[in-house]
Amino acid sequence: MDLVNATGSSKRGFSMKTIDEEKLRAIVGEANIKTDPSDLYIYGSDSSVHHAMPWAVVRPKTTAQVQAVLRYANEALIPVIARGGGSGMCGQTVPVMGGIILDMKGMNKILEINLADVYCRVEPGVVDDDLNLALKPHGMFFPPTPASSRIATIGGEIANNASGVRSVKYGATRDAVLGMKVVLPNGDLVNLGTRTRVEASGYQLHKLMVGSEGTLGIVVEATLSFVPIPEFRCMGIANFNTLKDAGDAISSIMASGAIPSMLELVDDVAIKAVNKTMNLGLKEVAAALIFEADGMVREAVDYEINKMKAICQKHNGEDIYASYDPKERDKIFLGRKSLFPALSKYDDNLASTALADDMAVPYSKMAEMAGKIHEIADKYGIVMTAYGHCGSGCMHTKILMDTKRKDQWESARKAITEVYDYVRSVNGTTSAEHGIGLSKAESFKIEKADSLHLLSLIKKAVDPNNILNPGKLSQAPEDWVTATNLRYSVNS
Amino acid sequence: MKKNTKAFKRLEKWEGTLANCIRCGYCFEHCPLFKYTGWESDSPRAKIITAFGLLSGEIDPSESAAHKMFSCFYCKRCEAACSSGVKLTEVFTDAKKDLLELGFNGPGTTSTTQMNCARCLICVGACPHEARFYHEGRGVVVDPAKCKGCGICIEVCPAGAAKIQNSFGTGRKELMDRASIFMATHKSAKAIVFACNWSYYPDLQASTLPDTETRDKSYEILVNLCGGRLERQLLMAPFLYNAWGVMVAVCPDDKCEHNGNLRAKELVEDLRHTLKSIRIDPERLRLVQIPAGDKGKFQAEIDTFVDRLNTLGPIR
Repeated sequence: MDLVNATGSSKRGFSMKTIDEEKLRAIVGEANIKTDPSDLYIYGSDSSVHHAMPWAVVRPKTTAQVQAVLRYANEALIPVIARGGGSGMCGQTVPVMGGIILDMKGMNKILEINLADVYCRVEPGVVDDDLNLALKPHGMFFPPTPASSRIATIGGEIANNASGVRSVKYGATRDAVLGMKVVLPNGDLVNLGTRTRVEASGYQLHKLMVGSEGTLGIVVEATLSFVPIPEFRCMGIANFNTLKDAGDAISSIMASGAIPSMLELVDDVAIKAVNKTMNLGLKEVAAALIFEADGMVREAVDYEINKMKAICQKHNGEDIYASYDPKERDKIFLGRKSLFPALSKYDDNLASTALADDMAVPYSKMAEMAGKIHEIADKYGIVMTAYGHCGSGCMHTKILMDTKRKDQWESARKAITEVYDYVRSVNGTTSAEHGIGLSKAESFKIEKADSLHLLSLIKKAVDPNNILNPGKLSQAPEDWVTATNLRYSVNS
Repeated sequence: MKKNTKAFKRLEKWEGTLANCIRCGYCFEHCPLFKYTGWESDSPRAKIITAFGLLSGEIDPSESAAHKMFSCFYCKRCEAACSSGVKLTEVFTDAKKDLLELGFNGPGTTSTTQMNCARCLICVGACPHEARFYHEGRGVVVDPAKCKGCGICIEVCPAGAAKIQNSFGTGRKELMDRASIFMATHKSAKAIVFACNWSYYPDLQASTLPDTETRDKSYEILVNLCGGRLERQLLMAPFLYNAWGVMVAVCPDDKCEHNGNLRAKELVEDLRHTLKSIRIDPERLRLVQIPAGDKGKFQAEIDTFVDRLNTLGPIR
């Protein structure tokens, strides 16, 4: 399959014959290159359903090495795919057209923590949790905090515009990126953005790089803002007997001017899954909302929490309860926190797959969306949950299915198409925080139909030889099931 | 998809498990091998991917694939952290058995240099996993499927015949080098803490914290695998690098899978006498027992030790 030809951006296919291992060895050194098939096989996977073999894995340690690799790849017309923790859920780092994996975990230094100007400079391989560990003694934190923060790298978070439970208050990665140094496909190094909080100096190209999924440049240094760790944190929970009541509560909270630091929805399928696998004994209601407020002054946090409690009550919320006590907060959050493992252990014959996993819809449609997911799952005989960071409009699902059965993949394909059709019909978006990669390209292309040409012009201007992560985003094939090998054994 | 079930008959039963692993990678931060090399191909997830590749026939059995599967210390922290409840080390063991039958072995387990071996059989008795036995024709041999790489045999062998080819940063020389580098590069450096990987260490840190110019610290934690592998030269080395003190953290009395904590206790007691005899306050060498996962106690013990060292000051 020549995906590049399919998009019309190039007539040329890529061939493994073109790779010069010795050249790469000379650039990064013998200790920083892997070419054995058993190593390459591992780097062909991430947390998505996809798998494809790269031709080499190199681990640059310096900006100069990244530049040299790109100069070589650009000349030899070899795809280059930057990789962080490999925790992507849509196949962003799966080398669908082969090529060189740039393992950026080798560049993992925190270069500067500047408290006077409230920014830090980091290399792209720094793990999110490590940055937060270094910021903590200064009373600060880097706010995007995706669930995968223990392995996700800053470079990967920038590439995907990652966000998480607290993004409702603190924003996504894009909001925290002030500037960056980027190596372009031809090896040139450019400084984008600034170190100031605001900038109106022309195009904000550093913001364009955020979410570009490694298709425009390789980030070799990022300047990030950070925020103070709040003194007080209070978490609450409310149960609802109908999804509609929970949805109305979400919309009302966000419309009321309240500032939650977290607002999470968990549906009945998710609650049952947690009870079934973890025996937590949660009340099996239609939906639960978990809300949190934080701040430096307790009275201000009280104000926010009381406001959210009152709104939940108004919309028939039950068992409403909130606490500042860390142990109580852990107890409240346990159901949500246990969801990920609970879904994996739900049934030995069903695997939890990362598909249709993070769309966003307007607040007023959150409950309807959850209902729609249940309806579609029933229709196709698969298990789907609805949960997510509803404060930022993000809805997660997991599709639980027997991955050995080909018919289940067909069902998943149809279900996903219907889910995304609904999302777009209510002016939602295909991805809230995990990105597009391969598995969401179909819906992405329909959603962005008006601007696809503009996107391809930008890509062509920056990367005329199409070497950076080719075959992704608008270049990805519509049919995600056949885009690559699936990383499961599927009976024919 | 073609399946290699004939060759990997033990792995076959894990087919469902290999699909259930969601490949989130949350096991990375708990794996001492990954932390040491930084290569994803040394992580627990990589072994699961390799097992899937071997079973599905997508990759061929090879030295390199075996190398990955045999490089594991069985600390089982990956299992404890696994989102999907995958029994990773059980998968690894079955893969190892299948690979051995196919004629592949790996350097992550111990072996015996027969030329040096005096056939004293101390290692056979000392191995807590019954991985070593005496064979009339071949001498002391190791069952690589049973060997968990704890290295007790290496420490008890009087002839230096028991070996491990790749100890991923936990060998004596590697630990001494890292202690030396830490003491030389950190202005506030005072203590080296040797910590057993089987119990609490991985809970303490999110992952390997990158060195930064702005970050100074008074102590360094070095993973030494089982406390039973600690030896005199290693525990005394930091003092030569101007450390003010050395702390050894092991599992509580009845919790060590390898009985290494008791060996460590005896060693530290003995060395404290040695320190006293050369007029160094024995308090500068301290052994603490930390229950699994009790990072609060571990941190508190380190803080108390560093406070005490601050009172004692540098060794004159």
